[in-house]
Amino acid sequence: MSSHREAPEISKDPVADNADVYAWVTPNNTVTIVSNFVPLQGPAGGPNFFEFGDDVLYSIYIDNDGDAVPEIEYQFQFTSSLQNPNTFLYNTGPIGSLTDPNWNARQNYSVVRFDAGKPPKKAGPPGPPGPGVTPGPAFAKGPTRSAELGSNLQCPPCNIGPRSTPNYDALASAAITTLPSGETVFCGQRNDPFFVDLGSIFDLGALRPVQSLHLIHPPNSGPGVNGTQALNIHTIAIQIPISMLTNDGSTPTSITGPSSVLGIWSAASRRKARMFDDHQGTFVESGPWVQVSRLGNPLFNEVVTHLGQKDDWNRGNPVDDAEYLPNVQHPELASLLPVLYPGVFPNLAALNASNAARADLVAILLTGIPNGVVPGVTYSTFTGTTYADMLRLNVAIPPAASPNSLGILGGDVAGFPNGRRLADDVVTIEIRALAGLTYPLVAPTYTPDPAASGVTQGLVPAPGQYLTAFPYVGTPYDGFDHPAS
Amino acid sequence: MNTVSRRSFLKTAGLATGAAAVTASPSVAAALQPDALETTPSGPLPHEPIVAVIRDVDLGEVTVLSGRTEKTYRDKVLVRRLLKAAEQNHTVRKQGVA
Repeated sequence: MSSHREAPEISKDPVADNADVYAWVTPNNTVTIVSNFVPLQGPAGGPNFFEFGDDVLYSIYIDNDGDAVPEIEYQFQFTSSLQNPNTFLYNTGPIGSLTDPNWNARQNYSVVRFDAGKPPKKAGPPGPPGPGVTPGPAFAKGPTRSAELGSNLQCPPCNIGPRSTPNYDALASAAITTLPSGETVFCGQRNDPFFVDLGSIFDLGALRPVQSLHLIHPPNSGPGVNGTQALNIHTIAIQIPISMLTNDGSTPTSITGPSSVLGIWSAASRRKARMFDDHQGTFVESGPWVQVSRLGNPLFNEVVTHLGQKDDWNRGNPVDDAEYLPNVQHPELASLLPVLYPGVFPNLAALNASNAARADLVAILLTGIPNGVVPGVTYSTFTGTTYADMLRLNVAIPPAASPNSLGILGGDVAGFPNGRRLADDVVTIEIRALAGLTYPLVAPTYTPDPAASGVTQGLVPAPGQYLTAFPYVGTPYDGFDHPAS
Repeated sequence: MNTVSRRSFLKTAGLATGAAAVTASPSVAAALQPDALETTPSGPLPHEPIVAVIRDVDLGEVTVLSGRTEKTYRDKVLVRRLLKAAEQNHTVRKQGVA
C-alpha cells in the first residue's frame, strides 16, 4: 500500500502510521492537503472505535523555497474525553449532533501554524500557542513565528451504524471548521481513498490483469481486487489559500515562476520516552518529539527503500534523502519485472543490464521534473537539485476540467506527480514508470516495452467514493453494514 | 621540598580538589549520600516523568529526558549510582539502562 504498515516499527503503531498524503489545487485559489493515519480500520471496530493518538504530534510540512526544509508547519494535537466513564458504550443513544449527550467518547483538537525565519508575533490574533508547544522535529532551528489557529475543535464520531449515527454526513459536515486565519480544517474518520490490489502485488509482484504472464504458476487473469475496500482511515484535511503558502505571499500564475512549486509532506512524532504506569494502566511520556513516520511521494518507503532502511527513513527528513538516491536510480522492482514476467520487458531488461541510473525516476521522486522535460507542454515540478522525497505541487497549474487518474501519463498535468489527487492511480503510474515508460523523458532514444504502457493494477475507485467538496475524502463505511455478510 | 613533605602536599591538594568538586557538582554530592533504600512506589508515575538513560558506562554518559527536552551529560558518579541502583552493573554495561 502507499504507506500502510510499510515499515517494521510503524506497522506496530497504527495511530502514528502516516499512510498517505495528498495535495492538489482546489477552487478559489486554494490548496487542499489530506494526510491519513490509523490505516486499515475495520468499520465494526467497537467498542473502542478508532481515533487519533492523544500522544502523537501530527505535522504537515511545506517547503516553499526548494531547500527541502520546511518553512511552514501545520501541527495537529488531539485530546480524547469520556462524557460518562461508567458505561461500556461509545454512545448511549443516537448521536444527532456534535453536542449530543448520547455521544460518550469524543475527541477534540488544536491547530498550530509555525513559520520559520520569522520573529515571534508581538500582538494581535491569532495568539501564540501555550507553553511547551514546539515545532515538529523536521523544522529548522532558529526564529519561528507560531500561532494557535484553533483549539477545542471537534472531530465527528466514527460511523457506527444506522441507529447510532443515523445522519452521519450531517455530523461530519458540522465538524468542518473555517479558521479565523483563513484555512478550513477537518479531522476525523473517512473511507480510505487509496485503492490498491495489495494481495496481488505482494504475491511476488503479480498484477491480476497480466498475471497469466507471471513466472510462477500463472493462473487465469482477472480484474484487480481492492485491498482497502470497505476499510476506513483517519483524515487530517486542511484547505489553505495559495497565498498563505508561497514564499512571497503571491498566488502564482506562471508555471515556471520561482514561487510556483511547493514541497509537501506529513509526519507523526512521539515523545522519546514512553513508560507504562502500572498504577493507572496508562502510558506516561517524556522528552522531545521524535519522528516515527513520514510520507511524501506515495509508495516511496513502501517499494523504493529496503526493509533494513525503512525505519530509518521514517525517522529522517527529506533534506537528507540523498542517502536513498541509489534506491531510486536502480530500483529493485524495475530489476524484478523482467524476471517475473519473462519475455515481457526485454527493453527494460537491457536498460537494467546497462546499469544506467534512472534519472527519470530521480526527477519524479527526488527533485521534481524541470520544465522542458515533458514534451509539448509547459510543466514543472522542479524544486532544485536537493534530493528529497516530497510531494511537489505546482500551484500555478489549475485543476483539470476532466481529471485523468493516470496524471501526467494520461496527459493530465494537474495530477500526480504534480501533487496527488484522491483518485490518482498512483500504483499504476509508478509501476509504469518503473517499467520504463518515463525513461524516454531523459533518454529519447529509449523505446519502452509495449507492456510498460499496458501494465495496470486493474482497479478504479468505487463509485461515489469521494466527495465533490471539502474535505473531499468520502463518508466512512459504517460498522453495521460493513463488512457485508 | 623533601619526599615526605611532597607526598603530604599532594595528599592535601588531592583532598582539596575533591572537596571543590563536591561543592561544584550536585551529582558527586549525591554519590556520597548513603545508599538508596528500596521501597514500594508511593503512587503512580508522574504525568511527565524525568527519565535518565545510561548511554555508555565507560564514558559515564547519561541522557536525561525532562519535559520536552533532552540533554546528555558525562557524569561517572551519577552513572555509578544508577548502576548500583539497578543492581546489575555487570549486565547493563553493554546495553545501557533506563
